[in-house]
This record gives sequence, structure tokens and C-alpha cells, in this order.
Amino acid sequence: MRSVAALLWIAFVFALSGDARGQPAEKPVTGDWLLWHLSSDPEQLNPLTASDKDSDDISQHIFETLLQRDARTLELKPYLAEARPSISKDKLTYTFKIRRDAHYQDGRPLTGEDVLFSIKAIKCPLVNAPFMRVYFNSVVDADLVDDYTIRFVTKEPYFLNESVLGQNIRVMPRHYYDPQNLLKDVTVRDLLGDPAKLPESVRKFADNFNKNYSRNPMGSGPYKFSGWKTGQEVEVVRDPNYWGNGKAGIEQVYLDRVKYRVVNNPDAALVTLKSGGLDAIETLTPIQHVRGTVSERFKREFQKFEYFMPAYSFIGWNNDHPIFRDKRVRQAMTYFTNRQQMVKTILFGLGQVVESPVYFFRPEYDKNLFNYPYDPNKAMELLTQAGWKDSDGDGILDKIIDGKKVPFRFEFKIPAGSSTGKSVLLVIQDELKRHGIAASVRELDWTIFLDDTKNHKFDAAIMGWAFQASEPDDYQVWHSSQAVKQGSNYISYKNPNVDRILEEYRREFDEKKRIELYRQFQRILNEDQPYTFMFVRKAVSAVQRRFHSVEVYPEGLKPLEWWVPRLAQRYPRKVMVQ
Amino acid sequence: MGNYLIRRLLLLIPTFIGITLVAFLVMRLAPGDPAEMRVAGGLRGAGEGAISRDKRGDLDEALAQWRAQYGLDRPLHVQYAIWLKNLFTLNLGESFKDNQPVWSKIRERLPVTIKINLFSILLVYLIAIPLGIYSATRPNSLGDQLTTLAAFVLFAVPLVWAATMAIVFLCGGDFLYLFPPAGVTSLDYAPEWTLWEKIKDQAWHLFLPVVLLSYDGFAGLSRYMRSSMLEVLGQDFVRVARAKGLSESVVILKHVLRNSLIPMVTILASILPELIGGSIIIETVFSIPGLGQLGYESVLSRDYPTVMALLTVTALVTLVGILLSDLLLSVVDPRIAFGKRGQ
Amino acid sequence: MIPPNDEKLSPPGIQASAKGIWTSGGLWSSVWRQFKRSPISLGAFYAVCLLILMALFADFLANDQPYYLRYRGKTYFPIVQNYFVKLRLSQWPAELLNVDFKKLDGAETIFPPIPYRPTNIDLSAPFESPSSRHWLGTDKLGRDIMAGIVHGSRISLSVGFVAVGIAAVVGVILGALAGFFGSWVDLVISRVFEVMLCLPTFFLLITIAATLPPSIFLIMAIIGLTGWVGIARFTRNEFLKIRNLDYVTAATALGVSTRKIMFRHILPNALAPVMVSVVLGIAGAILIESSLSFLGIGVPADTVTWGSILNEARSNNFAWWLAVFPGTAIFITVLSYYLVGEGMRDALDPRLRGSR
Repeated sequence: MRSVAALLWIAFVFALSGDARGQPAEKPVTGDWLLWHLSSDPEQLNPLTASDKDSDDISQHIFETLLQRDARTLELKPYLAEARPSISKDKLTYTFKIRRDAHYQDGRPLTGEDVLFSIKAIKCPLVNAPFMRVYFNSVVDADLVDDYTIRFVTKEPYFLNESVLGQNIRVMPRHYYDPQNLLKDVTVRDLLGDPAKLPESVRKFADNFNKNYSRNPMGSGPYKFSGWKTGQEVEVVRDPNYWGNGKAGIEQVYLDRVKYRVVNNPDAALVTLKSGGLDAIETLTPIQHVRGTVSERFKREFQKFEYFMPAYSFIGWNNDHPIFRDKRVRQAMTYFTNRQQMVKTILFGLGQVVESPVYFFRPEYDKNLFNYPYDPNKAMELLTQAGWKDSDGDGILDKIIDGKKVPFRFEFKIPAGSSTGKSVLLVIQDELKRHGIAASVRELDWTIFLDDTKNHKFDAAIMGWAFQASEPDDYQVWHSSQAVKQGSNYISYKNPNVDRILEEYRREFDEKKRIELYRQFQRILNEDQPYTFMFVRKAVSAVQRRFHSVEVYPEGLKPLEWWVPRLAQRYPRKVMVQ
Repeated sequence: MGNYLIRRLLLLIPTFIGITLVAFLVMRLAPGDPAEMRVAGGLRGAGEGAISRDKRGDLDEALAQWRAQYGLDRPLHVQYAIWLKNLFTLNLGESFKDNQPVWSKIRERLPVTIKINLFSILLVYLIAIPLGIYSATRPNSLGDQLTTLAAFVLFAVPLVWAATMAIVFLCGGDFLYLFPPAGVTSLDYAPEWTLWEKIKDQAWHLFLPVVLLSYDGFAGLSRYMRSSMLEVLGQDFVRVARAKGLSESVVILKHVLRNSLIPMVTILASILPELIGGSIIIETVFSIPGLGQLGYESVLSRDYPTVMALLTVTALVTLVGILLSDLLLSVVDPRIAFGKRGQ
Repeated sequence: MIPPNDEKLSPPGIQASAKGIWTSGGLWSSVWRQFKRSPISLGAFYAVCLLILMALFADFLANDQPYYLRYRGKTYFPIVQNYFVKLRLSQWPAELLNVDFKKLDGAETIFPPIPYRPTNIDLSAPFESPSSRHWLGTDKLGRDIMAGIVHGSRISLSVGFVAVGIAAVVGVILGALAGFFGSWVDLVISRVFEVMLCLPTFFLLITIAATLPPSIFLIMAIIGLTGWVGIARFTRNEFLKIRNLDYVTAATALGVSTRKIMFRHILPNALAPVMVSVVLGIAGAILIESSLSFLGIGVPADTVTWGSILNEARSNNFAWWLAVFPGTAIFITVLSYYLVGEGMRDALDPRLRGSR
């Protein structure tokens, strides 16, 4: 017992000195655990039927896809496929060749049959994955050319199809998820037809698949699922027989065990981190970043990483609303919004004001857009130009619109639980009140909020869009065709020029031209101010210092590639379960 | 006795239907769409950029598919009938969230909640009974008045406040770190630990939740005990016992205590719904994976089957509890004539 | 949480019995005489009065407008004028329209002791600890906590009163019907009681409040509609007792109409003990409201309540003032109501007469 303690102590000292020299000159070694923080229990670990982010993150360790994006460059690169697909001339058919050396965690080989099975399972209307299915609506057929070659047929040319097929299909072992091979005789084309006409075997498969695979995932990835204590932790262990071990182009993993520990309350999570119960917290709250994680002791033991998250928040003005259909009013609203100060006070500096819907760090983002400053006087000037004044001395501006006197009163809608959004709106509300505009803030349950915004039942709303850091496609948010009932163009923004650009953009397979098109698009939005764009937020992660190779990528941290020098390892090697 | 029992059992039927009806309607008439909830999650998972062109129309179809899968597209009364039928076969349905049987979700969370509640009930009784005896045997003394006042003070302390104060001052914020801010066990709690280590660890975690869950309980119950004792003390048989020359402690402990404990036992059943309420707050504040937290999360995520099941199961357990305590009362207390009690 | 007004918990036999004290002229004056004897009850009563005054005059205690303003040779009373403008009886002169009264050049002003409204945001002063500028500190948006507590009392008290008002109306009517008519009416209504008793009230409340759009009135309504069982059972028991008394029998024999007997002859006598549970119910409703807004359920985003300040303390646990002060406010309010209710109960109980 004593010798172990001594060893640990030496390890600690060594780790410190090693770090001080700033040269982790060693080669990565296997071993040690990672205790990763989750703020809620994942829903389930069936990669098709789960729909929350945590499930998705864990699934990434267990399942693999045909292609992956390089974490740094975001280029697509082959993974389970031997190479990127060959695309037919009409840009409709994608053919993937699958590696012959990949196998599952139970040792059985991964073949084209499994990929075909996976797309069938997605397309099967009885599988409880309708929302996953939406992404694959463009896929109309798939078949095997040979055991290791699969061909997908898509509906229309679209530059993101390769990414959908390569990156979104988690390849699942057919022999495990469909042991009786019930989908064998069904084709993807059959599955597109009337669900009522599907054979009984498909129904049987779907029933079994929906019910019995929520908590026992098995794939070809480097980590095996090994246990789940509800509301407490999910555990995966490194598969020593992983097919990709030591292979070029395949990302290597070193940590023996990853425990995802559920701590709902962020403050509790921080206390747990400090006491060693967690090794990393992916997103500290801003207040934790500026207090609570600044002591010397904390810095000695943990390293903090800051990075921007691929998402932005905005206030959407309903462009059909009698008050907000006037461009000058929308511009005035942006002038009223003290975004810089909000970043400073509400986000504690962890954010960046943006002026367009494109991820701030993409080449498509136009850095020459006009930055709307905080300028209430300019705003009032614009409002006066637009005909707003307080004609009856009741303290609220008014204007004759369509023959009726309309007071400047409106309502912000906000989804419940968004504390930053709420703060932002309260600040704007107070600002507007000082200038004779009566705004109220109404917090709505998420589903009701969605319903209202979808049906354009709002004056103004604060929301966010999240996206991947890869190529943007804003068609569904800004195209006028999406402004009809239920489209994602919630604010009913309609501009023929924007429509034209967005259509052209989707068909364009040349990246340079796409960027140029997108800059035009942003300039139009900048002038129209259909949204008041707010900010992209910064995440701050805290990671225990014993981990090496901790790097920040456009999409955040990548714990899969971390490792711990042998002497700094904190947890014993346990005998692997074979 | 037989008649009384049959009558009580028959009366359970309308109550049962009432409970299920309320549980069902509360959830089903609430605005909001659980299907949309799933989409929101789906979008977050896969990102916006990858959605195909005619996404929204397709999505509506997906939503309809999803609703059909759970029978949400049927008329309300049919849904109710199906749910009720399943209830009778002890099938509480499947959670929207992970397709797991609701019952297994409840079963998984039950032990923690039971543990916390059991300990707090125990604590409540252990403190309330002696305190009540003390007060009742010295009515209107300074001690009595102080305990009465203390009871009211404790009663008036809002649970949310006490819990927040505990988190702020005792659980590793800027102030003290005496207790863990979350969970029921340390994260590295392992089966290899010795029994003593296990007990110590759990006690450390459960201390605050249990105390917080019980403080207003023992305040209330000690008052109840006091008046229940006072009532018994005023009865003839006590005077007789005293007249017989029995010592005061024998009178109190043997005759009075026994009789005044009866209502204390029977009250247990009706405390249950309140405990669930307290569990919601405590389990949310301390991140305890129990039934309260399950209920709260399920409400927020519109997991109809789970919410309905929780409402119904708690209500039914309470119903049975009240029935049992009434029966118990009528067995031990011969003064209660069968059939004449209020319903 | 076990609310003390719940009939299950109210000790058997300690409720006032109907006999004896009603007959003499002023029931309430005799109760008051009895009530006054306990200094604790009396103190609590004054505390309640103070709280009500604070709620009524919140605008005069914490406001960003001055009581008195002398500007460009004219005298104004902005706080008072604000009421008139709202009622459309007056207008702001152009030079005072939407101005910051604190920054008027050359104006003579007298401000309330707390020169802020709870919604006044000052992004340059977030999380200030208590000081002479902000007596109880500020929150993350620089809003004054003292102003929040003063104005928050309006929400708490109105939720308390309205919710219990609703509960009392529902409870008294159902209880009266059940108690007076007995037989099958009683049987049916008692089933409803039983359903409500068995359902976990707080969970039910959360379910309803979390799914409907937030609004104070809604909160009042659902707290009221889930909280009437205690009052109803009280009323029922009182009616059961009283309807067999001689004077009721006499009235029936004289052919007085049922409605008249119920509401003229029985109800006033049954009301006294019911009032006790109403007062206790107010405390219960305030507690529930604070729990809901603590969980962030049901209270509109732009309304500052005691519970919502407390909620902020949860995620900013270094700012102790966010936890201590609103909690104290809830505590004092609830305690006062409890003690008043308890005092009333004692005053109504003839057996305790003269014992203090």
C-alpha cells in the first residue's frame, strides 16, 4: 500500500516539473481514466433513436462513420471508407469503397452489408428515428456493388450530400442489431413506399430495434460500452483489440476508460472537479470562469481552454409585423442594443459580437460588414424618420399605421431556461422603456415557444442557431419559400436577391464562388437587419493538467486523443475484459 | 367490520377513476407538443447545415409519424381508455424519452427516494414525539412556548431558501465545504468499499437532504403530538389512572402515550404526497437521481407517460395508505364505530 | 412540506366548537380581545399590517421617480402624476417625457429612500455587495435587491390573497354542500376531496405551471384550485356539527328556505374556524409561489419576485446577499401569517380562554 502512495507522489512531482519545462517530449502511452462531466443523463445510446447531444457524444466513441472531418481543417477524410466517394457526373450517385480490415468490438468483420443495413434502418419508417430520417430524405436508393462497395443514389445535386452520407451514418453491426436478418429482402426503395404495405418481418425488426437496443450499444469504435448507472454515470472502456490500433490515418486512443459522470448542477460539478471526482468540465459557466477557477491552487491543477462555439444568438424581428416591417425600425432596435456592454457584463467577456449568420471564423464570414454601435440617439433619429413620436404625452411613442394610431408596444418571446437570453432582453426592455417603447418579455416553455415561432405568432423573439463549423447552408432560414407556415424562416424575411443567391449557392460545387456568393448575401442582411445579430459565445473548459495533447479545435475539445504519461496516471490499469 | 371494509373498497373505485382522469387530463390538455421536443433535440444533435432542402414539409410528416407511433393522434377518450386498460395490466407505458418501460424507470429511481424519505420520516418521529411529550406535559410553560415558537419558526422557513442557504454556505462555494453539493454517493463509490466506508459516505451525502426534508415535518408533527397528548390527558381514564395512584411517568408513558400515538401513525399515509413535493425541490437542488427529479425532468420534457405514471402511482399508494391507516385506526380505537366515520 | 393548515394536521378537538361564544353580540370583537392578549400574535399582526402597507406603497418606497420635482420654475409630483398618466387623466409635459429624473439639469428633487425600481438595470454595477448605495446589494444586471424585495411583496401578498380567496370560495361552497346535505351529495364531494388529497399537489402544480405560459394570475388560479381541500373539509365538518344544533332544526321547522339556512344561519357560525385556515393558507400560498419561482416556473421573466431573486442565488452562489435577503422576506411574511392564524385559533378556542 505504502509503495503505491509513494509512487503516486513521485508521479505528481514529476508531472509538475515536466509541465514546467513545457515539453511533453514523451510518446503517448495508454492507460489512466478520464472522468468527463455530463450535465444530465443521456437519453439512450441507440445511435438512431437518441436525439440529445450527450448521447451523440458518447456514441462517437463507440460507432464510426465512412468519412470524418479533420478536426483542424474540417476537410472530409476517409475513415471506414478507403477513400472519399466517387461521385457520378450528374452529382447524384455516390460510391464508397469500404476498408477490408475493420471489425467490430465482438471481432466480426465490418462489411458493406452493415452499411447497407444502417441506411435501411434509418430509412425504415417504423424505426423510431423520424428526425434522423429527415437528414436522409435526399437518399432515394442504396445497394451493394460488391461485399465492400456501396452505392447511394440521391434526389438532387447538393454539395453537402457527401458529408451527410459520409458523416451522418453511424455504421451499426447488422448481426447484432438485426440478428435474424429481417431486413435482408427489403430494399431502400421498398422502405420509401407506404409503411402499411411493408412486410411483417420489417415490423418485427423495428419493434425489436426500438425496444431492445437503448442501453447496449456495440459498434466498431475504439471504446466499448461497459456500464450505465442511471443518473450517475456511463462508462466506456478502450477496446484493446480495436481494428484501427496503430493504423495510419486512424485516430489513436490511449485512455483506458472514460467515465461520463452526471452532475446536474454546474456548481456541484465544479466542486466535484476540484475534489477530483471529475477530470474535465467542458463548459464552465461564465461566473465560474471569472470566480471560483482563478485561484493559484486551481491553476496548478487545471488548465483552462477558451474557444468559440459554432452557434450564434440573435433577436428575430417579425418582418411581417406592422411595427417591424419598416427597415428603419429594425435598424433602430439594433442601435438600441448595447451588445459590447452585454458581452462584457452578461457574458463576462466570453463572447464576440457578430453581424451576420455565418460562423464568425469561417472564410465565408464578411469582416467588412457595418458594425452597428450602441447609439440610442441615432436610433431615435431613425424612429423619428420612420414617423414615431409621442403625440399624446402618455410616455409611449405612437404612429398612425394603416389609418390607426398604434402605440409602440410589443412582446419579446423567449424560451424558458435561457438565462442569458433573458438578461439580454431585460436590458433591452429597460433601455427601450427609457425611450418611450413598451416591451414586455414573455418566457415560454420550449415546445410552446417553438410552436409560436414556427407559426409566426410573435413580435420579436430571442433565439440561437447552432451549426457545424463546416460549410454553412442558410437556405432554410432565409429563403422566402421557407417563410410559409412551418418553415424555419420564422421572421418571414423575403428578399428576391437573397433567394437567388441561396439557390445558386446550393448548386455550386466550387468553394471560391460559394464564398463570394455568401458575402453578397451577408451584405444584404447587414442593411436589412431582419435580425439583430447578437454574439457567438465562448466556451471555457477546465481540464486536469495530467492530460497531454489537449488541443482546441474549431468544434471544441477532442478528449479521444488525450493521454497521460505513465507516472502521472492516477487510476490503476485494470485487467481488460476480453 | 366486513360491511365497512366492503363499503370502503367500493368507494375506492370512483376515487381511482378520478385520480387517473386528473393525471391524464392535466398532461394531455397542457399545450406543447412532445414530438416537437424531440425535433429540437434532433436538430441540436446533427446541426442545421445538413438538412435537406424540403426539410420542413418532411419534418411535419416525421412529427406525424412520431405521434402515430405513440398513439397521440387518436381521440382523447380512446387514448384514455387505452391508457387505463394498460394500467390494469400494470403496464405504465413507455417513456417518450428512451422507449424504456416507465415502470423500470421508476423502479430504478425508487430506492434513493425511499431511502431519503424513510430517514426523514424516522428523524421527524424521533424528534417530534419526545418534543410533543415534553410540551404536552408542561403546557404553557416557558419550555412549551419556546418549542411552539420554534416549531412555527421552522415551519415558516421556506424549503427552497434553506436549501439555497445550505448550498451557498455549506457546500463548497466561497464559504464552507462541509457537505457535498450533489449526489447520493461519492463518484468513486465502489462495491469493494468496506461497510463502514459505505455508510460513512452515504451519511455524508444524505445528511443535508434528509435534514432539509424533515425540519418542517418535525415542527408540524411535534405540535400535532402535543395536542393529541393534551386531548388524551384531558380524558377520564387518565384521571382514573392518576387517582389509582400510578406514578406520573407511568401514566404518561403507558396510558397517555399509547393512545396519543395512534393518530401519529395514521397520519403517515397522508404525508406521502407532501414528501413527493419536497423531494422535487431537494432532488433538484442536490442533483439526486430520485423520483422527484425524474418527475420534474419528465414534466419539462413532456414525457407524458412518465408524468402520468408518477402522478397515478403516488396517488394510489397514498390512497391505499389512507385506507390502511383508517382501518388501523378503527381496529385500535374501539371508540370509532364502523361505518359512521366520515368518508 | 406539510402545510399546517391542512386538516390532517390540525389537532383533533382544538378547533372551535360552535357552541357558546357566538351568541354574544360581536364575535369578532371578543376574538380580538382574546387575540390581543398574546404579545406574539399581536406582534405578528402588526407585522402583517406593515407588510400590506409596504406592498400598497411600494411605489413610494422604491422608485426611480422623485416625490417632488422643481424644474424650470414649475413644481411636479412625478410619482403621483404617474398614476394619473396611467389612468389617462393627465399627460407628461414634453420636457419630462421619458427623461431620467436623476440626470435633469438644475432640478430640485426629493427621491424615495430607495431611488430605484426593481427593473432598473445598471450593467456597470452587477453583483455589488450591500452598501450605502444599494442597501441589500445588486444582482447580475445591477438591479437593486431592496427595490426588488419591496416590490416583490406585492406579488407575494397578492398571490397569497387571491389564491386563498379562490380556494376559500371553492372550498366553502363544496364543503357547505357536502356538510349540509350529507348522503349522496356528501359521498360524491368527498370522493373529490379524496382525489385531491391523494394527488401530490406540488407535483401537480409544477406540471400545470410549467406547461402553461407564465403569468401571475395563472399561478394564483392554480394554487387556489389545488389548495381548497383543507378549507372544504373544515367547512364540511363545521356544517355537519351545526346543522344538528337546535336553532337550525328550529329554523327548518319554521320553513326557512334551505339556501337561507345554509348561508344566513350556518355559514357565519362556521366561518370563524374556516378563517383560521384561510389565514394559514395565505402563508402556504406564499411558500408555494416562492418555490415555483425558485424553480423558474410560472413567473413572467420581467417580474422580480422573492423567489426569482433566490433562484439567482442558486447559480451565483458567491453572492450571499441574493440568498439571505429575499429568503428572510419570505420567512418573515410566512411566519407572521402563521402566528396570526395560530393566534386566531387560540382566540377562537373557548377551552383556552383565559389560560394566557
